[in-house]
Amino acid sequence: MSFLGACEVFLKSGFIFSIIAMGYYVSYYILDFPDLTVEGTFLSGAVVFGLMCSHGINPWLGLLAAFAVGGACGTVTGVLHVRLHIRPLLCGILVSTVLITVNLVATAAGMTGDFTAQSSSVISYGRTVATLHDCFFGDLIPERVGGIALRDLLLFFVMAVVCKVLLDLYLKTKSGLLLRAAGNNEQYVRMLSKDPGKSKIIGLAIGNAYAAVAGALYTHISGNVNQSMGIGMIVIGLASLIIGTSLLRSVKFMKPTTKVIIGACIYQACLTVAQRLGVPSAYNKLIMAVIFTVALVLSGRLKKRGGAENA
Amino acid sequence: MLELKNICTCFNKGTVDEMTLFDNFNFSANDGQFISIVGSNGSGKTTMLNLICGTMMPDSGQVIFDGTDITRMSEYRRAKDIGRVFQDPKMGTCSSLTVLENFALADNKNGRFGLTGAINRKRIDYYRELLSQCNMGLEDRLGVQVGALSGGQRQAIALVIAGMTDVKLLILDEHTAALDPKSSETIMQLTDQLVSRNNTTAIMVTHNLRFAVEYGDRLVMMHRGECVMDIAGEEKAKIVVDDIVDKFSEISIELGN
Repeated sequence: MSFLGACEVFLKSGFIFSIIAMGYYVSYYILDFPDLTVEGTFLSGAVVFGLMCSHGINPWLGLLAAFAVGGACGTVTGVLHVRLHIRPLLCGILVSTVLITVNLVATAAGMTGDFTAQSSSVISYGRTVATLHDCFFGDLIPERVGGIALRDLLLFFVMAVVCKVLLDLYLKTKSGLLLRAAGNNEQYVRMLSKDPGKSKIIGLAIGNAYAAVAGALYTHISGNVNQSMGIGMIVIGLASLIIGTSLLRSVKFMKPTTKVIIGACIYQACLTVAQRLGVPSAYNKLIMAVIFTVALVLSGRLKKRGGAENA
Repeated sequence: MLELKNICTCFNKGTVDEMTLFDNFNFSANDGQFISIVGSNGSGKTTMLNLICGTMMPDSGQVIFDGTDITRMSEYRRAKDIGRVFQDPKMGTCSSLTVLENFALADNKNGRFGLTGAINRKRIDYYRELLSQCNMGLEDRLGVQVGALSGGQRQAIALVIAGMTDVKLLILDEHTAALDPKSSETIMQLTDQLVSRNNTTAIMVTHNLRFAVEYGDRLVMMHRGECVMDIAGEEKAKIVVDDIVDKFSEISIELGN
């Protein structure tokens, strides 16, 4: 693999996973809610998208459907926490466990109409059937330039930017500002005669909707969905978020969402470097966790130093 | 306008630490009154405020506000008419938001929090005007994160915000206790201006006996879940700090310490 080829790989996954990380920016960074639902919703997004594509439905509708389904899953997590007072970690565990079954059954039922889920657990819709570039001006861009899948790369870049801009715009609205207030001081929201729980549910819905969109885009690379795709997405999302926000802590002019995209690309670059150094792919998750640990320790250090500068 | 009827509250029910605080407690506040409440720790002042605001529900009894029974109403619904300023300046503002954002939220209190822009530039002059009454130079710091301000400044903002939201009843929960003497004096004067300008009913818990004497038109002393002193009008106007101190020691002697 050439250097450019390696860049293509880490940028592509960086842009896709930055969307999960943006979701975590809302649920974890703003609301301080460690949301474990994400592994389930990432896969749900992929399943919904894959099924719709394999049935010949417009992939952009599939993407929208993935967004909606992710939002619905996040809402369930939020309701469990806010209305039924279950702890955040447990809510995520419960919903993602339920989603294991739901995703499996949905896959089998969607492919063969078998609700016992004994047949297929894989969706293979193939890139020839449907691609997101078929619409809009995708055709104007050359598929490959110098061995780089330029069209894919641009698509994922545009999607990451669209997600970022939408989130930035949302956070500037009244609802978005109330969400930020709810994460910071629930009492203040109560004082405004508003239910902070509602804001939390909205935040979790956004977080999971974004994870599902990332899942949908991820399947778009290969045209395949398998049931283990979601594993590791919590670490990827959180690591990207923390790397982005802590490394670029002192950069004031940049929006946090931009930092998250950069963080995601840095994280993927580290993984790509490790792979190119010859680490077998079975060690992937180990390396992911190790890099995340390093990022966590560093972010703690940076925070301390930042505190000393402010004092 | 506010009435607590036959309130019973018991902590740690069913354990060895069971402690009954209120046993058939009654209290009422009239429209436009500014009530100062004093009393030793554990006398039930904060619990009373919590019952009024809905942070706590009584075991039995009723809380009536403007003729409606609000005993089981949730805290955030009550907040439409009841404002609260806490002892901790961090509670009344959002530290990670700017001063302007805090005001923008409060300004929209009874509106819908939908998908329209949060900050209305036309209102900025109005926020400036409100802040300039504090004489803290806050009107020029609208873009600053509230977390970067001092406790006194934050409490001033919390107070202005609580006042601008058109509440009928303002609850002041030892809101000067965490501030230095100068700041607490300023905050107290601001409170007085605010309450008299809007003719808001206010209930203030304080450990500062001088404030209790100088401000407000009714003074209540609580002890072990009961009102041991409740004076208003002429009688309140005549009272001095020493009278309250005497009453305090009288209670302590009764208890044998």
